[in-house]
Amino acid sequence: MSVSRMLAWNEIKEHKVVYSAIIIVIALTMASFLLENAYINYMIQVVDNTVKNVTADAVITDRDCDVRDLYGTETTIHDAGKIARLVEEKLPGYRTSIRVTAQATYGVGIKNVAADACTLQGIDIHNDVCVEKIKKSLVAGRFFSDEDPILRGHTPLYIRIEGPGYLPDIVYGSGQRLLRKDPPYPVIVGAAAAKIHPSIIGVGKELDLYVSTSARGTNYACVRVKIIGLYESGTPTVDAMVWFIPDDSLREIKCYGEVEGRSWIVPGIGSFQGFNPIKVNKSMGDAILVKAPPPLLSLNPIGYSEKVRESIKRVVPDHKVFTWHDLVVYGTGSMQDVITYLLWGSMGVTLVLCGFAIKYVMDSIIIRKMREIGSLKAFGARDRMIFEIFMYQGIFIGLVSGFVGIALAILVMKIVDWIGIKMNFIAGTQLKIGFVVNWFTVAIALVLPVALSLISASIPAKRAAMLPPVEALRKGEINL
Amino acid sequence: MGKCLIELQHVTRRYGGYESEIIALDDVSLKIFAGEFVAITGPSGSGKSTLLHCMGLLDKPTEGKIIIEGRDTSKITGKDMALLRGKKIGFVFQSYNLIPRLTVMENVILPGLIIGKKREYLERRARKLLKEVGILHRMNHRGAHLSGGEQQRVAIARALINEPIIILADEPTGALDSKSSREIMDLLLEMNRSKGVTVVFVSHDPMVARYGRRRLEMKDGAIVKDRKIK
Repeated sequence: MSVSRMLAWNEIKEHKVVYSAIIIVIALTMASFLLENAYINYMIQVVDNTVKNVTADAVITDRDCDVRDLYGTETTIHDAGKIARLVEEKLPGYRTSIRVTAQATYGVGIKNVAADACTLQGIDIHNDVCVEKIKKSLVAGRFFSDEDPILRGHTPLYIRIEGPGYLPDIVYGSGQRLLRKDPPYPVIVGAAAAKIHPSIIGVGKELDLYVSTSARGTNYACVRVKIIGLYESGTPTVDAMVWFIPDDSLREIKCYGEVEGRSWIVPGIGSFQGFNPIKVNKSMGDAILVKAPPPLLSLNPIGYSEKVRESIKRVVPDHKVFTWHDLVVYGTGSMQDVITYLLWGSMGVTLVLCGFAIKYVMDSIIIRKMREIGSLKAFGARDRMIFEIFMYQGIFIGLVSGFVGIALAILVMKIVDWIGIKMNFIAGTQLKIGFVVNWFTVAIALVLPVALSLISASIPAKRAAMLPPVEALRKGEINL
Repeated sequence: MGKCLIELQHVTRRYGGYESEIIALDDVSLKIFAGEFVAITGPSGSGKSTLLHCMGLLDKPTEGKIIIEGRDTSKITGKDMALLRGKKIGFVFQSYNLIPRLTVMENVILPGLIIGKKREYLERRARKLLKEVGILHRMNHRGAHLSGGEQQRVAIARALINEPIIILADEPTGALDSKSSREIMDLLLEMNRSKGVTVVFVSHDPMVARYGRRRLEMKDGAIVKDRKIK
């Protein structure tokens, strides 16, 4: 052990009480920073995973689409297939899927007096970028298969009623009620919806959905669906709303393709259109989901999502591009960002105060140790050696604070995980409290206290090092 | 007469600014030769300690030169100055200046460790020195637990650890009772006689000053008497 390290260690032992107090304060600050960060990461992950079930990394929509339309009312993109191929060609490593979406309502209760809503997400059951995620999140039933009645070969019945003057045109219908022999479309529903409406939602149950067939929800078709599976993504809010259906089923419901046959006009009421053969156009959709290649370093996922947006925007300048983060911000406001800023701010204030405390403690140590500093210089110690004695103490405080903080945080995470604490979530559901550790923040929790201690220690250390030996000896004698 | 170890040429040391200037040393010229046992005496503020600090390279003269073994110290860097101080000069202070948390052994070997000597060698030498100063039995005790006389014995052993050419002692008995003072001065004298170690000490105590074989008397920053006692 070098002389400076030996003397630094002796100083630490002598001032163990005051150093321990500083270490505990910094360690607790770091532990709380790590815990809050890990908890926010967990919540972000819960929301992101769910949001990404719907949106992947980014979504291309029509230029008129707003972020709030992404839950089912996007305007149709007629050449979605062409755009998807273009993105895959121009951006190597990017994967695309065409999504068809719709808003739907269904009756609740014995007499269907109440209604609830859901968002239908039509997915390509083989190639959609979210297929694997949905499969992994299934908690009951099964995923779609080719044997499911995905297409019927005709449109459901709609009746368009042209509203007089100020009323919107509406469509209602009950096509499948007229043709009971039609098998119901398969759907996968969020487990949270089953908890909210257990009498009508469950694996194997059938129900009627009133599906919005136009972008802004003025046309509806009535279709019968059968629930084949329940999924649980971790966010009950979204689980309760988002239902999955094969994309071709939804194309058929929304008449995406060439409709053959004719419609009937009933004077004074409107027009009937239904039971006409339809040739589904697979290139039509409401949004194009884009999955970007994972970044090399995920230190700044929001920044990376912006890069993804810019890359896609260069390929499709006439369309809108939303990232998963847009949806998170839309869903939760900038709350997460605000909490993150507050967290960093409070940590910064505490650390600055700790920095002052370290400087103050070392200043007072130096004043009391003048005679020793003078003696060491008399024995041949160079300025650098004196500087090192105090810097080693700074490194020690920083490293121990960082490691203790990290250890405390891990301990609390393990205990919380072991106990399995749950908190109330929406609709009587419960969400388990969890943590997702970001290794970048762990590195910060180690580097920051060390940097802070070094900076705080360097000022008194330099002052001590620069003291002329005779001055240190004289002041030391005065301090006795 | 032995060879000249330290030479001061027209050394002046001034403190303070233009209006409140204090002349601590006023054009002092002096030579210290190997094997001498020199006492510096004089009233308070006469410049005794400043002279000792300048000789020990702890303080820089405002004017003049300090030559150690023929080497002009005004032309060397701070780093070399520290090394020269560590290798050539041993210090004994009035308040002993032991590091209280370190053991006697650690205190003694500290100057050797600072200049980069091997610990094993230093510990062997420290045992020998501690035996000579009569404190070997307390080598594992902490400095803070020793009496004043014992601490000063440790300080003498510490001053000798690097085999310096000279020991500079600033009021080495200033904090001791008369019995301990005599013991310490006897010890320093013994080191001077048996080992040939050159010793320069400052004291305002006439009894202690009488130990000096050469006595320098200072007044107002100047050496007013320089006597050799046979």
